[in-house]
Amino acid sequence: MEMSASDAARAGIAAGTKSRTRLISLCVNGEWHEVAVKPRNMLVEVIRDTIGLTGTKASCESGTCGACTVLVEGRPVLGCITLAVECDGKQVQTVEGLAEGEKLSAIQEAFLDQGAVQCGFCTPGMLMSATALLRRNPKPTREDINKALEGNLCRCTGYNAIVDAVLQVSGQGGVEPVME
Amino acid sequence: MIFFDFDYERADTLEGAVALLARMPGSARALAGGTDLLPGMRMENIKPGLLVSLGAIEPHEPELLADGSLRIDALSRLSSLENSSLLRSKVPMLAESAHVVGGNQIRQMGTLGGNLCQETRCMQLDQKHDYQFVAPCFKRGGDCCYPFPRNKHNVCWSVYMSDIAPALIALDAEVEILGQAGSRRIRVEALFTGNGLTPLSLGQAELLRAVVVPPAPRGFAWGFHKSTVRGGLEFGMAVIAVALHLAEDGNTCADARIVIGAVREGPARATAAERSLKGAVLDGKRLAQAAAEAAKEISPLPHHGFTKRHLTDNIRVYLRRTLAQAVERAGGPGRSS
Amino acid sequence: MSELNYVGKSFKRKDGPDKVTGKAVYTQDVKLPNTLIGRILRSPHAHARIVRIDTSRARALPGVKAVITVDDTKGIKHGFVETPRYPPDQEVLARGKVVHVGEEIAAVAAIDQITAQQALALIDIEWEILPAVFDPEEAMKADAPEIHPSHPKAPGKHSNIGGSTETEWGDVEQGFAESDYVREDRFECQLRTHGYLEPHATLAHWESDKLNVWTSSMGVFVKRAKLAKVLDLPYSSVRIHKAYVGGTFGGKIDLYSHEYCASRLSMITGRPVQITASREEIFSAFRHAQPLILEIKTGVKKDGTIVAQRIRAINNAGAFRGSGVVVIFLAWGFTMIPYRIPNLKYEGFSVYTNHTVRAPQRGHGAPKVRFAIESQMDMIAEALGIDPIAIRMRNAREPGEQLPNGDNTHRGGLAACVALAAEKSDFLAKRGRNREQSPKSTIRRGIGIGASAYMGGTLIYPNGSGVIVKMNDDGSVIVLTGAIDIGQGSETVISQIVAEELAIGMGDIKIIAADTDVTPQDIGAWISGNTYVTGNAARQAAGNAREKLLQVAAEKMDVPVEQLLCRDKVVYHRLNAEVKMTYREVIAASVASHRGDTIIGEGFWRTMRDEPTHPSLATTKGRWTENYAFSAQVAEVEVDIETGEAKLVKALTVHDCGFPINPQLVKGQIDGQISMALGHAFMEEVLTKNGYTLNPNWLDYRMPTIHNMAISEDADVITEQYRVGQPYRTKEVGEGLISGILAAMGNAVYDATGVRLHSTPFSAEKILAGLRAVEYAAKKSRQDEAAQA
Repeated sequence: MEMSASDAARAGIAAGTKSRTRLISLCVNGEWHEVAVKPRNMLVEVIRDTIGLTGTKASCESGTCGACTVLVEGRPVLGCITLAVECDGKQVQTVEGLAEGEKLSAIQEAFLDQGAVQCGFCTPGMLMSATALLRRNPKPTREDINKALEGNLCRCTGYNAIVDAVLQVSGQGGVEPVME
Repeated sequence: MIFFDFDYERADTLEGAVALLARMPGSARALAGGTDLLPGMRMENIKPGLLVSLGAIEPHEPELLADGSLRIDALSRLSSLENSSLLRSKVPMLAESAHVVGGNQIRQMGTLGGNLCQETRCMQLDQKHDYQFVAPCFKRGGDCCYPFPRNKHNVCWSVYMSDIAPALIALDAEVEILGQAGSRRIRVEALFTGNGLTPLSLGQAELLRAVVVPPAPRGFAWGFHKSTVRGGLEFGMAVIAVALHLAEDGNTCADARIVIGAVREGPARATAAERSLKGAVLDGKRLAQAAAEAAKEISPLPHHGFTKRHLTDNIRVYLRRTLAQAVERAGGPGRSS
Repeated sequence: MSELNYVGKSFKRKDGPDKVTGKAVYTQDVKLPNTLIGRILRSPHAHARIVRIDTSRARALPGVKAVITVDDTKGIKHGFVETPRYPPDQEVLARGKVVHVGEEIAAVAAIDQITAQQALALIDIEWEILPAVFDPEEAMKADAPEIHPSHPKAPGKHSNIGGSTETEWGDVEQGFAESDYVREDRFECQLRTHGYLEPHATLAHWESDKLNVWTSSMGVFVKRAKLAKVLDLPYSSVRIHKAYVGGTFGGKIDLYSHEYCASRLSMITGRPVQITASREEIFSAFRHAQPLILEIKTGVKKDGTIVAQRIRAINNAGAFRGSGVVVIFLAWGFTMIPYRIPNLKYEGFSVYTNHTVRAPQRGHGAPKVRFAIESQMDMIAEALGIDPIAIRMRNAREPGEQLPNGDNTHRGGLAACVALAAEKSDFLAKRGRNREQSPKSTIRRGIGIGASAYMGGTLIYPNGSGVIVKMNDDGSVIVLTGAIDIGQGSETVISQIVAEELAIGMGDIKIIAADTDVTPQDIGAWISGNTYVTGNAARQAAGNAREKLLQVAAEKMDVPVEQLLCRDKVVYHRLNAEVKMTYREVIAASVASHRGDTIIGEGFWRTMRDEPTHPSLATTKGRWTENYAFSAQVAEVEVDIETGEAKLVKALTVHDCGFPINPQLVKGQIDGQISMALGHAFMEEVLTKNGYTLNPNWLDYRMPTIHNMAISEDADVITEQYRVGQPYRTKEVGEGLISGILAAMGNAVYDATGVRLHSTPFSAEKILAGLRAVEYAAKKSRQDEAAQA
């Protein structure tokens, strides 16, 4: 059944003008992708659905939990409130880009050593925030760690093991692996 | 995700952005960090037809001017402000106010100008309206108010939450605004109307270009505190920024600024309390008195689950402590209480 | 011998590498071609009749492939609880009226999100608004608006009673008469919610008469059962696939409407349908925890021994029965397990209100009950001049003690937990110290203790777990288990047990889990049953495989079975290590000579083997579990007495978990519960007004951030042991360690400030008001004294 123009209008479809789909280029984990996006598409949608890297998680869609954290030009940002078009031509790093082949990064190993992973849903975002911190500041204090990770919610671990993982990587606090 | 389509253009310069905004008056919005605008678009509290991206415009580094003022590009990321050694040494209160905004990612994305231009907030407003609070309230162009149903038409008590604005006002900062007719400069205070429906005095095709903080006068002391429940990842219960200019003797107050954010439709100055401090010796009793007066004078709006009574109590205690902190910074012996 | 190589050690998680590399597949990560997006139309009203509903304009929208309302369903009801007394009471979509804001009315499947959203706006409904009620005590009044008819067996002339629990023993009135001290208190707990990071999500694909479903859940078998039932399909036509789950905490057990809708829409369109709940929907339309009102009257002897207790619990159940009738039963349980109560009268009501339906949340009533009882214990102790440790030791149940319901505490270690907690925290030395001083600082420190008990593996559908251990011909194994890893580490624990029983390495084990077609049924990751029930099933399955291996080895090596031992995938003669066969050789021999037996071990376990089902929810009669866990937790808090702000500084958890299979996983559970408890205590509340949720987001529903975590220490009281080849009893650690600490925080706030709070959260506003009241009372008493002088 055809839909009347007034119904279309009521449903919020702008008759005639639609925004243009455009091609953008994203270098994700070192690989260039040319993707067709609309301006309203968020970076996390493009990463997960268009490019197909589902390691980055979508949890609140409103920038309040940090699960969608990825690095754009090395900067930890919230993929759910970053327009994909804003990242045209930029370097993006996701959790899939942390390991080198089979070799996990130090922070990934430390998360496993310290029991800092339970359900794992906050883990990718947490790892990206921690990675950005350690690149900028290889010897963070506990306060530095808290400030860098305060934007990542975790409901399972209570955070202590996560802090220990970052301290283990930084070689501080005498934190040894606790899991074998 | 955002459920409607809009056009998107990238500006190469601020002037270019202003021109693009002017082309679609009432429907074009500037996009900087997007941390306030995009969630607002997701909730459909704002539905621009065109976003003008400022993302290609590189902000200038904070600059110490010849007269000792500090000029900070409005497109500066908050993370660059909190980490700037120039700011930490010259205007530590500004660095501190940037440091407490949101969470780390928000500070990496958000800009100084964007933080100042954020919308006022209210729980019933800041959620999707698919099946709750569906009929638009005054702020959304409708004719009701959910939290305060007895409010007369167009009285909106949504609250302005910027952490940085109170600090800038306490610093007597000015803001440079670029419009179609060129630049103009106003005190940061004048950016805010105090009206919850239209909290900013900016025109539709105007953008913030820079904030200019005058050099600190002799005997300057600052204090800053953001009250939260958890210590991070929150808007404030109340944001307290104080600036004191101490007289030669180091004990007497020559001038004072007391600015409280997050409790009214715009940042609120406790001008009566400020006046009461002028010429006074800043002992513990005097500070406590000023804080109590200011808390009452500001008359906080209940917001986000906090009652007026509790916000008043919170302001009274933390303002007193913040004033004491300022006095201590100025090196006044035995002043803190 | 008896040295364990795997059980008792902190092995790294099996699923860890997948989770830190982004490879772990959660429901939203499963992509099928031609998937349609589903959206749910939700009620904007708390209580309203649907006079007329018209979906024709939605159906006509280009891109919309199907629209369903309740008329498109089979009209089959479901419920969290399905017993003769409490038959299923909820349909998957609203019929005739809506009873809470956000209730599901219709669902659409469309080619993309925006089209689906637009279709919802084209569904026309004519409403007749009905009076609504939100407070449970208001709802119980005879003249309250009726949401559903009261349960026919509900006692008294109340309204809106979904269910009730009543039980008593002894004579409470006589008990109170004989008591030296009696007091009565009322406690309330706020509405709070689970806050799992992974949203509810379901992908359903009906293909070739088989419904394939991926959904975020706590147990694939209970999901299959409920989904098949409402779809009127045989179980064998519904397959719930394995997906990792991003946190649950009790909020993902029930059948949810969107799971039905995705399935039904797929059956209609023939295409996969994906529905993901937005965070707002989760906060404002999905299930939260149960806010309880508890009225407790307790009589004691002057040495603190409990003589009699009378408890009335009122649950704000929300608009359908949900798990409300369970929580009022559990509230009785959490009352009577830790302490001896010679005379008890308990009544609990689950009351309908026009709120969203409730679900269990970690502890399922225990946090609220223990907060109430442990607060009152401290008040009683203070009135009698006894310290909080002594009064608990006096009343704590002993090991081997018979419980009033016929269960036994077995090797329950409550007294040991209390004693150890007091010692490790230096409790008696620290208590009362800070409050008596008046230092220049406005920070006061306080210490408090809370005791609790929990139970594991009780009978609830599907009541038992099976595990299959399949040997590969190289001696490694594949373990088939229905257990679902929701973060608690079930796959790791099961691997450790299998490794121990079969003498193989953690790397020799592959787990295939949580698939209703492939894996045996499992009790599910709720009721704290995994480690005890599924773990014993895994032990048995691995043991069964080992027996078969040894049988064949004994034949081939011509050595009696008792003379053989297993180590590192080799069978050895105990006395001569040269005489051996590798598992590879044994298995080859088995296939060659045992009619091709490829060596598959099977195991199964269930608690309460002599009981047909769980106890009566209404009367509490019946045996419940053989597996009681105990704990004592100590909290140290700091309170700013000028602002009322309080925080947890240090938590000590002393728990009787039996023995830990993986100590670091246990620590992880403890830390998580400390975090959730301090959120409950100081910062979390779902704010509602007239049935609408005011704070449906993480900005204003404040869960603990990294800033808020406390020092968390723990100690085991070991009461059980693991021996290869023997059934073991561990107890639970996933839910029982959130209650004592909550109570301890309340008691610690009192120790620090003299403010006794009867409700959670312990907000700054309440503490400040309490401080003013304390100050006023002190001032008044000084004035009275001066007047008398």
